[in-house]
Amino acid sequence: MAKYQAWLGLILALTIAAVVIITQLPTRLGLDLRGGSQLTLQVKPTAAIPNITDREMEAVQSVVEGRVNGLGVSEAVVQQLGNDQLLVQLPGINDPQQAERVLGGTAQLEFRAQKPGTESQLAIENQVLQSHLAELAALQATLPETGALDTETEARLEKIQADIKTSEAAISALFEPSSLTGDKLTDALARPTTGTLWEVVIEFNNEGAEKFAELTRSVAGTGRSLGIFLDNRLLSGPVVDVQYAETGITGGNAVISGNFTAQSARDLEIQLRGGALPLPVEVVENRTVGPTLGRDSIQRSLYAGLVGLALVLVFMAVYYRLPGIVADVALLIYALLTWALFNLLGVTLTLPGIAGFILSIGMAVDANVLIFERTREELRAGKTLYRSVEAGFYRAFSSILDGNVTTLISCAVLFWLGAGLVKGFALTLAIGVAVSMFTALTCTRTLLFVVLGLPQFRKPALFCPGLTSQSTRSATP
Amino acid sequence: MKLQVIKQRVLWWWLSGLTILIGLVAMAISWQQLGSPLRLGLDFVGGTRLQVTHVCTFDSSCTDPIDLAEVRRVLAEQGLESSSIQLLGQDRQTLSVRTNDLDVDERAALQTALNDTIGPFDLNSVQIDTVGPTLGRQLFASGLLALLSSFAGIVAYLSLRFKLDYAIFAIVALAHDVLVTMGVFAILGLVLRVEIDSLFIVSLLTIVGFSVNDTVVIYDRVRENQKLNPHQHINDVVDDAVNQTLTRSINTTLTTLLPLVAIVLFGGQTLKFFALALIVGFLAGVYSSIFIASSLLALWRERTGNIYGGSSAAADETTSPSDPLPDPPS
Repeated sequence: MAKYQAWLGLILALTIAAVVIITQLPTRLGLDLRGGSQLTLQVKPTAAIPNITDREMEAVQSVVEGRVNGLGVSEAVVQQLGNDQLLVQLPGINDPQQAERVLGGTAQLEFRAQKPGTESQLAIENQVLQSHLAELAALQATLPETGALDTETEARLEKIQADIKTSEAAISALFEPSSLTGDKLTDALARPTTGTLWEVVIEFNNEGAEKFAELTRSVAGTGRSLGIFLDNRLLSGPVVDVQYAETGITGGNAVISGNFTAQSARDLEIQLRGGALPLPVEVVENRTVGPTLGRDSIQRSLYAGLVGLALVLVFMAVYYRLPGIVADVALLIYALLTWALFNLLGVTLTLPGIAGFILSIGMAVDANVLIFERTREELRAGKTLYRSVEAGFYRAFSSILDGNVTTLISCAVLFWLGAGLVKGFALTLAIGVAVSMFTALTCTRTLLFVVLGLPQFRKPALFCPGLTSQSTRSATP
Repeated sequence: MKLQVIKQRVLWWWLSGLTILIGLVAMAISWQQLGSPLRLGLDFVGGTRLQVTHVCTFDSSCTDPIDLAEVRRVLAEQGLESSSIQLLGQDRQTLSVRTNDLDVDERAALQTALNDTIGPFDLNSVQIDTVGPTLGRQLFASGLLALLSSFAGIVAYLSLRFKLDYAIFAIVALAHDVLVTMGVFAILGLVLRVEIDSLFIVSLLTIVGFSVNDTVVIYDRVRENQKLNPHQHINDVVDDAVNQTLTRSINTTLTTLLPLVAIVLFGGQTLKFFALALIVGFLAGVYSSIFIASSLLALWRERTGNIYGGSSAAADETTSPSDPLPDPPS
């Protein structure tokens, strides 16, 4: 009895912990459930850059991140996929066409001189832009996780996004057009200077060097800035020192210094490099799910899951009697533990992921079926109740292990080779199988032996209907 | 009741053979009509699917279902005559259009045109799937690779746990399950225009991972029985093993099918056919474990003269014949 008490305590503690985790930590929902767009971008090699390496991908990614930020979507994610693809996730986006238009295409990096007499205006416009960005961030913090936005919030969001666009256009209008574009920039590098300060070194090719000299001469010492624009958004606006007023910065090398931290210098470096790459980016996949549809899917899956769970619970209790009810308790613990583990590990639940979870509910009791059938067989062979139950667990173990290992092999293959949605299914099913090994074996075993400790339950008929002849013998082993 | 697995093995083989044959015929017809054994969805061939729902479903003001002729006219105006159109939902107010791979401007034009003539559609329940043809081929190739790797992994694991011949027959049974599922979906593709997508590959992999369980349980039992009765004929050993494990084979499959049935009944469009594929595969799986994998093993052992499970057959020591469990103190 004592050895089961420790296990019982552990199971209780885990269950309570699971309930706490489920109530405290949010479940992360995939875009197909909360609504949003998922885009796959293909980076295409060109004659000049036939091989796309990690260095190029990093630069392109920063360009894409810049464009994503411009969309004003909260919690957007950009990540590298394979060798030459990017995955962009845009939760709750209301205009997928616009997103697709903005994200594709080649980066546009430009170095432009500020128009004369616009100094104070630039400062004001900059402030306006910052306030709009702050407003957007504040609004995004209050947005609900799932479901459609109400019309009022949506209108506000659209207005702020339009304001940001207007602001950016206004800033862009304060600068002269220019022919010094990203393709003439050969490199950009962040490096530390004195103390904790950093700077960014840029380098142009011959044609770029000439144009850069001309450009810097026109603004040097005037207090007007040299605007560096990526996709028409001002990245940085350094001023050129008066000493270059005669000749401009010649030789094709320049240093941008200022209040750069290691991080901000590195950001600018990657953005510049990305802008310098003439790599076209094409949207090759767009999966958009409206928020209403997503919520509908959640509801349907919830019904399916609950009905499925109920069917399994009823079947086990009716067919296997007392041990079936014990397995049902273990199954409920299983569902709680698995859900808590999803939240704890930050697993993003997608629709196929939920299907994997529902499926694993049915698989979780398979081990119990094996054990209880074996127990019945031992009982029919005339063994005592206690020994039959022990033998059921012992004898069924190798089959249970084999079965779970083969399922895990399939999951592992799916996880390594599958694409986004498929990965979600593999992960939830694998977590489910692993947890079920614990609940179906340890939980059921502990609970069953605890129940067997009570004399009123020590009746073989409760384990194997129709078996009464040996009941007197095995009730008192 | 005792199941005569070995005695009636020819019947079981015929049943399976016939089912697979019908599936293969369906795949051949499908190959002729569509250029592939199964109707491939846009995940694999690329294309665009646009799904929109009329706003009237939200305030229950719908009168007539969406007019298909009208939809065709709009599609023809956009130069998309060859697209397939489907109406979904109980009141037929959800329109799903599948076209070739559209770029963002073409798609926006189509959406606007549909909205103006047939709409208004609800902005919050739009679903868009666009897959470029190159990406589609990539997804297809990686799906096939996954299926083959999974087979290889399971063969490797089973040959470690059992002898090689067990593993090979388990794989034959798995191939049977996959073929039956593919056959059913080839028929569904021809009759109901059901397309297979990435989730179908997932379902095949899950079938492979799960269906081998029942086979393993039976083989485990064969091995155990051979050790207990080394002088019993392999046919009787197999027959006994199948019958002793019959209830658990059926029940493990049943408990797994119950939630899947719930998904078919209550789940959304996406998951319905996924769950259906799993149900077909798992049913084929339990059948092949009971009737195919076992009888093939018996036949093979009989042909190779390995009829009695003496010491040679019980080479691997995973279950010892003596019961190691002591009686508990009373």
